[in-house]
Amino acid sequence: MFANYLIGLREGLEAALVVVILVAYLVKIQRRDLLPGIWLGVSLAAALSLGFGALLTYGTYGLTFEAQEAIGGVLSVLAVGLVTWMVFWMARTAKNLRGELHGQVDRHLAAGGKGLVVVAFLAVGREGLETALFLWSAVQATGQTTQPILGASLGLASAVMLGWLFYRGMLSINLSKFFTWTGGMLIVVAAGVLSYGIHDLQEAGILPGLHSLLFDVSAAIPPSSWYGTLLKGTVNFSPATTWFEGIAWLLYILPTMTLFIRRSMRRTPTPAPVQHPVPQGAH
Amino acid sequence: MITARLPKPAAVAAACGILFVTACTPNASAGTAAGGTGELSVTSTAEDCSVSAATAESGPLTFTITNSGDQVTEFYLLAEDGLRIVSEVENIGPGISRDLVVNATPGSYYTVCKPGMVGDGVGRAAFTVTDSGTAVEPTGDEQAQIDAALTNYKAYVKDQVDQLLTGTEDFAAAYVAGNDDEARRLYPTTRMHFERVEPVAESFGDLDPKLDNREADLAEGEEWTGWHRIEKDLWPPAEAGYVPLTQAEREAVAAQLVEDTTTLHSSIQGIELSLDQLANGAIGLMDEVANGKVTGEEEIWSGTDLWDFQGNVEGARVLADGLRDLLEARDPELAATLDADFTSLSTELDKHRTSAPDAAQRDIAYVSYGDLASEDVKALSDRVNALSEPLSRITAALLG
Repeated sequence: MFANYLIGLREGLEAALVVVILVAYLVKIQRRDLLPGIWLGVSLAAALSLGFGALLTYGTYGLTFEAQEAIGGVLSVLAVGLVTWMVFWMARTAKNLRGELHGQVDRHLAAGGKGLVVVAFLAVGREGLETALFLWSAVQATGQTTQPILGASLGLASAVMLGWLFYRGMLSINLSKFFTWTGGMLIVVAAGVLSYGIHDLQEAGILPGLHSLLFDVSAAIPPSSWYGTLLKGTVNFSPATTWFEGIAWLLYILPTMTLFIRRSMRRTPTPAPVQHPVPQGAH
Repeated sequence: MITARLPKPAAVAAACGILFVTACTPNASAGTAAGGTGELSVTSTAEDCSVSAATAESGPLTFTITNSGDQVTEFYLLAEDGLRIVSEVENIGPGISRDLVVNATPGSYYTVCKPGMVGDGVGRAAFTVTDSGTAVEPTGDEQAQIDAALTNYKAYVKDQVDQLLTGTEDFAAAYVAGNDDEARRLYPTTRMHFERVEPVAESFGDLDPKLDNREADLAEGEEWTGWHRIEKDLWPPAEAGYVPLTQAEREAVAAQLVEDTTTLHSSIQGIELSLDQLANGAIGLMDEVANGKVTGEEEIWSGTDLWDFQGNVEGARVLADGLRDLLEARDPELAATLDADFTSLSTELDKHRTSAPDAAQRDIAYVSYGDLASEDVKALSDRVNALSEPLSRITAALLG
């Protein structure tokens, strides 16, 4: 029961974190009208995952192991790219917001609005297939006992609860802190997703070095414990990390974080430049 | 959802097509004959991982894994080397059953469960897939088969070189630490990984001599490094005049071996191969056998020629098997001849094997070359020659 609960919690958290930050962001800049886009991405991903899960469980054909891992891996790497784009996009729109140039913000949002749908879709879809397969097999097992599906559902519910609390916390901090904190957090999450994606591709045999471990702290942080689950669900920490994963993590986080911190530092002291509107027909 | 309205197979086929070309595997209920025979049940508990049968016929297999423990568990089907993951299911919660469907080719495997998702797992057991007589791979068009053969072989080479590197590091560490018995044990079994993919290693011109030069191969003034330099030091010649390496010399030659193997390992990652390289590789391996191993010249100090021999033969067989679908279409008679000749050579070699057939890689053992009678050598040599002839026809059959 508790172990199934942890699975639901972990998979739920992985999906929820990015979505929560997205929602908090849109609420912060008072663009609630864009929220349906986010929910569209989330629902699409959930529907697709459940549909696939059902097909793969009850249909005549399943995915090969390599394909499952390759899909997970490729989606992860894609998600990292998009989340990184989003972090810098948010920082840019925020800067314009400060100068109250609503025209600019609107134009950025027009371009970014579709991107947000995709980010939400990937954040949920990445873990969706695996979760759906788990849920379907739990449904199949209900003949014996309803405990597993109850456990997993409670886990998912807890993940949503944690997400909600996190969201409330996000709303109460001021705007400039909000961008620095969420941006930094998203970069840490994205780095975890990247190394997790690398691990999937290693398991699929597409990348080498599955058995060359950089460190193994499974004894101190068992992946089945609640703290192991939280670490995995939030920053994708793997207690047994391969060299390839570790190096990819560093290669991503060091330059991205440096760039992000430099941008944030620069943003705070300088007020946004006032731009004069360009008259119609001047081009 | 739109896909839900389509007939199931059509929807999945469409989905599979969108995702990956070879991403689909039939579920057990799909096959006509597979449903009854290919079903296995696995029970995973805290201490054990019991599989309902230790053998199965090739084709679609369904492992239904039931988690009877109280921790989340995982089930793995590992390849013959016990390392490469053939297939796996993760996240099996307590009280839950999940299916693992795998399109299994004949061969040796291991099954293992990992309750709590840590460590090497529990209940590791050998699992054998016998040949059911029906081809497992669907026969697509020829280019797809060629691509598959190249991809599979590249994966095989990478896997072997991965293991070569790990083995070499252990071997070098034992040698430097003065743990000579352990080094002598690791020497032949680690080299087998190299021997299996030797033609590919040889394609990196300067690395092969640095790793594998024998004393007799040395050019005037050339520095002797690599496996055979250490071999001589571990099995010093009986006659007088041999000066053992000092500790500093040991460290230098061991470090060089690891460094060169690491270079080989990184060079191999981006390797591109062609069909004729595969076909010719098999002949190249049997030439290796004929020129060095069957004559006992490769390992003059250690006498471990039969390990190398076996490695070369296994490597050639992997190549030939990889080209099998293509060959079957072009020249089925040649495919049959190859099978028979490989089998009789393996039988001949197995007579000299002293370890159990299911021994792990590092425990594989053969008699020393010096213990072979002259008629043993003759018998082996005859089998090698018999195999060389059909092997040399592969290239013509495929590219002609």
